[in-house]
This record gives sequence, C-alpha cells and structure tokens, in this order.
Amino acid sequence: MDELWQDSQPTTPSEPEGTDGLGNLNLGDLSDLTDLTETTTPPPTPTRTKKDTSLGYELYLNVRTLVFVLAALILIFTFVVRIIVVSGSSMENTLQNGDSMLVWCLGYEPKQGDIVVLTQRSYQEDSLVKRVIATEGQRVDIDYDTGTVYVDGTPLEEDYIKEAMKVPNYGEGVNHVTVPEGCIFVMGDNRNDSADSRYPSIGIIDTRSVIGRAVMVLFPFQDFTLL
Amino acid sequence: MRGKKPYQILWLICTLALAGLATGVRLWQESTVFEGDFGLPVRGATASVAMVCVLVMAAAVLCILAARQPIVRPPRAQVRGRRWAMSFFATGDLVFLALMWFSAFSALAAVPMLFGQGRALWKAYQVALAMKTWQGGDNGVLSMVTAVLALLAFFGLLQIGRDGYHPGRRSRGGFWAALPACAGCGWLLNTYRNCAADPVLWDYVPLLLAVIAGMLMYTDWAGMSCAAARPRRTLWLAGMTVVCSWVALASSPDTGTAMLLISQSAAALAALWRLPINLQNPPKVGWEGNLDTCSIQDSEPQVEPQEPQPPLTQPEPQPRVEEDWTWSREESQAMNCTGENKEEDTHV
Repeated sequence: MDELWQDSQPTTPSEPEGTDGLGNLNLGDLSDLTDLTETTTPPPTPTRTKKDTSLGYELYLNVRTLVFVLAALILIFTFVVRIIVVSGSSMENTLQNGDSMLVWCLGYEPKQGDIVVLTQRSYQEDSLVKRVIATEGQRVDIDYDTGTVYVDGTPLEEDYIKEAMKVPNYGEGVNHVTVPEGCIFVMGDNRNDSADSRYPSIGIIDTRSVIGRAVMVLFPFQDFTLL
Repeated sequence: MRGKKPYQILWLICTLALAGLATGVRLWQESTVFEGDFGLPVRGATASVAMVCVLVMAAAVLCILAARQPIVRPPRAQVRGRRWAMSFFATGDLVFLALMWFSAFSALAAVPMLFGQGRALWKAYQVALAMKTWQGGDNGVLSMVTAVLALLAFFGLLQIGRDGYHPGRRSRGGFWAALPACAGCGWLLNTYRNCAADPVLWDYVPLLLAVIAGMLMYTDWAGMSCAAARPRRTLWLAGMTVVCSWVALASSPDTGTAMLLISQSAAALAALWRLPINLQNPPKVGWEGNLDTCSIQDSEPQVEPQEPQPPLTQPEPQPRVEEDWTWSREESQAMNCTGENKEEDTHV
C-alpha cells in the first residue's frame, strides 16, 4: 500500500513527468538539478495518467465526503428539522402508527391547532405526538356529555378527531383549566385512546419540552401529506 | 525564519486558555441554567448566552491564529514525495509520541465500556422482542459499532504516533487519521441517536459539536497525506476540538464517551504541538532526525556535533541531494508563501 501511495499520487495535468501532484520533484530525478526554477518549466502537453485515480486518494475523497455529509446532516437534523416515527394510535386518523414525519424545530413557537412533537419526562422518556388545543392564557373546558372542547368559551370545530369523545378510564382528569404562561394544552386526535394533557401524569406541557411542529408525513409514500 | 514567533506555543496557550474558559462557563451553566426535576433550561439565562459567546470567540480567535500561521514551502528538492505528507513528522519528539499514544490508549479504554453498554441494550431488546413489548428505542447496535470503530481508531492513532516519531521511508504521516475519522462517524450517529428525543439542545449540542470537530480534524489530518492538505483549517479544527471536547467533558458524560473525548482532545493537542513547527520549519529529506521540537530553527539544517543523531531514514542515494538542502535565508523568505500557497491541490 505504501508503495502504491508513493507511486500513485494524483498528478495535476500541468505537472511534468517526474513530479508529484504538488509539483514536487521525485528525488530520483533530482540528481542533475541545481536550479529549482528549472524544475517548474511548464510541460509541453498536459496529460492525465492513471495516477489521477490513485487508490489512496480516491479512498480519502470517499471518507471526506462521508464525514462532511454526515456532519452536515446531523447538524441539520439537530437544529432545523427532525424525522420522527409515530409510535401508537393516539393521533389516528391524522397519523398512523409507523408513519415517518418531518418535524420543523428551528425557532418554532407552538400555536393552536398545530401537531407537535414533545417529550414529557414525567410520563416517559420517548417523545409524544399531540395536537395543540390551547396556548398560554387560554381557558380549556371539556364537556364529555356533548364530546365538545371549549377554548375561551368557544367550542372547537374538530373534524380531525377519530370518534366522539368519551370519559377516559382514569376519570375526567384535567378538564377545566387555564393554561399557565409558557405552557400548552395538548390532546391526541384519537381522544378515546390518547394519553395527553387530560391525563394527570402528563398534564399541562411546558413549551420548552416541545421539539417541533410536524409539517408533513414522509413515509409510507401513500400517506404523504402536509399537516 | 529566525526571529519568528514559536507559533506552536501560541496555539497551545490560546487553545488551553479558551478551553479552560469554556469549561468554566459550561460548569456555571450546568449549575445555574437547568431547573426542576427534568432539567429544562431557563430562557435567556446569562450563562447560556455567555457559553455561546465563548464558543464563538474561541472559533474567531483560533481562526485569526490560523490565518496568521506562517507556512513555509520548502524548495521542491528538499521534500520527500509530497511536502504535506511530512507535516506530522516528529522524530525524537517525545511529547508528540506521548500525546498520540495517550490518545490511542484512551480510545482503546473506551472500547469495552461502549461494547458492554451496547451488549446490555441488545440483550434487553431481544427480551422485549420475545415478550412482544418492544416500543422502539436504542437497541445497542450503534454502541457496539462505535466500540468496534474505536478499536480501529486505536490502531490508527498508534500508527500516527509511530509514523511521526519514527518516519519510515514511505511513511504517509497522517494517512492513518482516516481511521479515527471513520470512528467519529459511528460515534456521531450513536450520540445523535441517544439525544434525538431530547428537547433541550444544551444537553447534547456541546457533545455533538465536539464529535464533529474531532471528526473533521482527523479528516483534514489524513488529507495532509492525501493530496488534499488544508493545514490552516487543520489547526483551527484541532483547536476547536480541544475547546469543544473540554466543554463536553464538563457535562459529565458516560465513561466510554469521556474516554473518546479525552482521546480526541489529546490527539488535537499533539497536532497543535507539532504542526505549527513543521509548517514554519518544514522537515527536509533525511533530516527527520534533527527536527527541533521546541524552538523554531533557522531554515538551514543544523548539525549537533556533540550528539550526532543519525537520521532514522537514510538519505536518498543521490549525492547532490544533500547539497540541495542548503537553504539560504533569502530563499527561505522567498519561499514563505503565507497566504498564497500555489500548490495546486493544496488549500491553506
């Protein structure tokens, strides 16, 4: 390999025979040279040889490309967007179990109606996907008799929910609350199978726990849609 | 070259000072910014703003230092093969060797820890699969892959130290740095996998930046021997690797991660110790044995009559080559191509 490296440096087209790619002369050709300027005289005809595709150089280029692309992707997927896979049925029918969605993170502030990805460590380490029902300062009232959610006294038009809401098995939970500053109230679209802000262990969500807003379903392709 | 500043000292002082400052600010941030049981960050906290400022300042200072780094291109007759392949030659330099081997063995120490961690997760994953209770999460594969790659990095770092201290006839200097660069890829993926569900960027961004800086540094290091030399960027990345690694270490990562951070930090310090010397006073053919490790020499080859140190690599057989090494100060100044190196595949 070393022999290959020594003998197979990529050569720029303008290099004369007997030089390496940087214009450095091979020592074996130096015996009669005293004036360096003589070694840099332009060659008569630029030619490319098989040295241009040296194994070491090609290998290095591949490693460099891999490293730069990976670093760029990780930075983008840390600060700008993320791809999150939905686990569970709490957002049906909007999102199905196993859907991969693109989540926008950069400079996001939660708004009512957005689908957000968040982590509530009091409940579980993995992230949750829910819809924002109310933001800070808004009053949420849930009427299980009519299956209606009121925000600041106004009933929400919720054509996205899977089925009419029933009383959860843990009781009515948090159903009359004013959202504190810096917090949001979230619920899943599948109201009868969703652990969300109504559930006391989760409760009101601090906006610092929000990772970002789901903007589209990427995979499977038949479910591709903007959210 | 006479009278020029010993830039490696400047690099080390600046880098260590910035790393110390950044570590101090990170400790301050750790103690004041995260609140509650779940460590959510206080918005607009002074320590967080200071942390960002220190990192930006470190990047800027090291960038200025890199821009001012003198780079001497020796006459073509005086280099063996490519000039940049000799950038990490450090014959007789015990500091370089010690740092590189410390770096190598730190990487090796991380292997059993990472592998054990991955294996435990893999077993838990298998049990969960059998019980059909698996709900996603880390199955340990990336930890085990990182451990295997860290083992490769160990061999690469060991070889770099050996190549620098005892350059062989066909030594490629830092080509072996491609191995730790590849190891960095696995480590980066593993790190990202572990923090993908964490909404608090400050929990893991310093570690991600440290891994990326180290990975890019090793890539450029390998590039010095692969016709893609960017010596100034290599120096800058080495400095940033030290700064970011120290910041990440201040966050008390797990032992395996800490060993990898220590490893890349030591390798970066070795680069900062050796590379500025060799850029200012490039090694010449057959004179690897006489490299001055602590001071910037005159460009002319120096012979120490009391302790003649035979070159480890015999000079090339051509009798006139040694005469070509004689490099007058005027020539040296003429060759000092700081800022306008014209080597075609070199970007300084």
